[in-house]
Amino acid sequence: MTTTTIDLQALVQPDRVHKRVYTDPAIFELEMDRVFGQAWLYVGHKSQVPNVGDYFTTRLGRESVVMVRHTDGEVNVLYNRCPHKGAKIVPDGSGSAGKFLRCLYHGWTFKCDGSLLSVPLRSGYEDTALDLKSPAYSVRKVARVASHRGFVFASLSEDGPELSEFLGGVATSLDNFCDRAPEGEVEVAGGVQRVIQRNNWKIFFENLHDTIHAVATHESSWRAAKEEYEAMPAGTPKPFEVVIVDGNGEPLEFWANLELKGYDHGHGFMEGIFVPPTDPVSLAYVASLEASQGAQRADEILRVNRHNTIVYPSCSPHTSFQQIRVIRPLSVDRTLVEIFSFRLKGAPEATFQRTLKYTNIVNSPSSNVMPDDLEAYNRVQEGLASDGGDWVSMHRAAGRDQPLPGGRASNGNSEMPARNMFRTWAAYMGVQAGGAE
Amino acid sequence: MNFNDWQEQQEITQFLHHEARLLDEHRWDEWQRLFTPDGLYWVPLVHGQTDHLNHASLFCEDALLRSMRARRLEQARAYSQQPPTRTVHVLGNISLESRSETGVVVRSTFLLLEWRKTEQRSFGGSVLHTLQREGRGFRIQMKRVDLINCDAAHEALQVFM
Repeated sequence: MTTTTIDLQALVQPDRVHKRVYTDPAIFELEMDRVFGQAWLYVGHKSQVPNVGDYFTTRLGRESVVMVRHTDGEVNVLYNRCPHKGAKIVPDGSGSAGKFLRCLYHGWTFKCDGSLLSVPLRSGYEDTALDLKSPAYSVRKVARVASHRGFVFASLSEDGPELSEFLGGVATSLDNFCDRAPEGEVEVAGGVQRVIQRNNWKIFFENLHDTIHAVATHESSWRAAKEEYEAMPAGTPKPFEVVIVDGNGEPLEFWANLELKGYDHGHGFMEGIFVPPTDPVSLAYVASLEASQGAQRADEILRVNRHNTIVYPSCSPHTSFQQIRVIRPLSVDRTLVEIFSFRLKGAPEATFQRTLKYTNIVNSPSSNVMPDDLEAYNRVQEGLASDGGDWVSMHRAAGRDQPLPGGRASNGNSEMPARNMFRTWAAYMGVQAGGAE
Repeated sequence: MNFNDWQEQQEITQFLHHEARLLDEHRWDEWQRLFTPDGLYWVPLVHGQTDHLNHASLFCEDALLRSMRARRLEQARAYSQQPPTRTVHVLGNISLESRSETGVVVRSTFLLLEWRKTEQRSFGGSVLHTLQREGRGFRIQMKRVDLINCDAAHEALQVFM
């Protein structure tokens, strides 16, 4: 495919982007090479592969990879491709490969770090150009793997910042994700939900910190929740199921006052929109955290109350409901979102059950909240294909950001997060988005 | 297990057909009234799922959540219901799993066609209805829908199955 005809520089400005960045399949292919080929991408969590030989397959950009636990305890991320004929070695999904990986096609076997263990008819390769000791005949590892508190990231590029530098200010979200567990650790549990979106992946990312769409887009669900509560006897404590849905009906001033931070590399987070509840389930959880960490430390941990965090361009952790949404672009107008739930080790069982209630109600394919998002994303995708205009606005509160170390802060209603992501996008793509605001 | 007689088979069959029709005609209020107060509508996320509290689901809805969904579907500004989802259920293989003093557990299979906007989707699987006898009729204590593709990636699932 020839892509040299695209003038990327002409498509990204500090406060607006050209529609082609969402609609052009050639740009999507370039993104796979330059954005997903360079950035640190979320692979999974170490708890998904607790024992030697446990594997979990996923996609990093266009690449099929497998995360697998080796005999030395290390978690490796390998290209899921047999160096012999090219077959995917492990089937899609997760499971246990035993002590070694065995290709279904001709029975070549590999250690769980990818190194070649045995081939049938070894004598057939004597005096041939195929050198079994060559790395070319082991399963290729992705260029770089690193983890933070059990969250495993990979980069398909040998070059670039270390993971800690890459994460910058959002490492605190991953820390708080784990710190909320009385034992200081989390584990993936309760199954993974998958949602297909008919839109470009960037539309989803921009929506994560778009605070002013909620009251408009989500009217059907917040109004249904409010009506539900109004139908209950006066004085009924507001059920959790209602709280997590009717919050989207808050007026724009409410969202304006939320803390919103954007960091280098496109990341950011938004302050929590829910006041920590005081029902028995919540109180029992807080007590379990205080029992292990002490009241003062527990209070410090719970004060870090965040809604969506963006780890650009691959995932969005939600620290207070123990979710990570993983974003896998499939094509220019199709995106897969996988929703992982986590158990806070040492917390009461009811805390985890609430995590699942949240994912069932808010993030699952059957969410009452999400369909209106998906409808909006899809209408954007379809509308951008028309000749009704060329540019997409990101002007709101442009030029009013407050600088921070390694990032910037803004009013909760600002489109700073979208501008921050596109500044990063442009840098990955090799152009300038117009520099600092 | 066999039905006691043709009459029992008729009562159960007619009940299931009526329930499917209420869904296909968007008669959400009448459908909700079929459930016992503690009744559960459940669509597991994985095959063989035994637990809806410690494992995520595709749907896991008690009376409150069923009511919220029904209310949302009928909101004037339910943008994802412009146009609304249209469905048709086809039931078959209705058989009796077990019988107790208070009711029956019935298994059926179904095909469901869904149409919205530009796309027709098809779903299929089996359903377990745990029914409580109430006079001449039944109330649903649990409706468990096992989709053959429960573990697939799905686009939005908006209406009850």
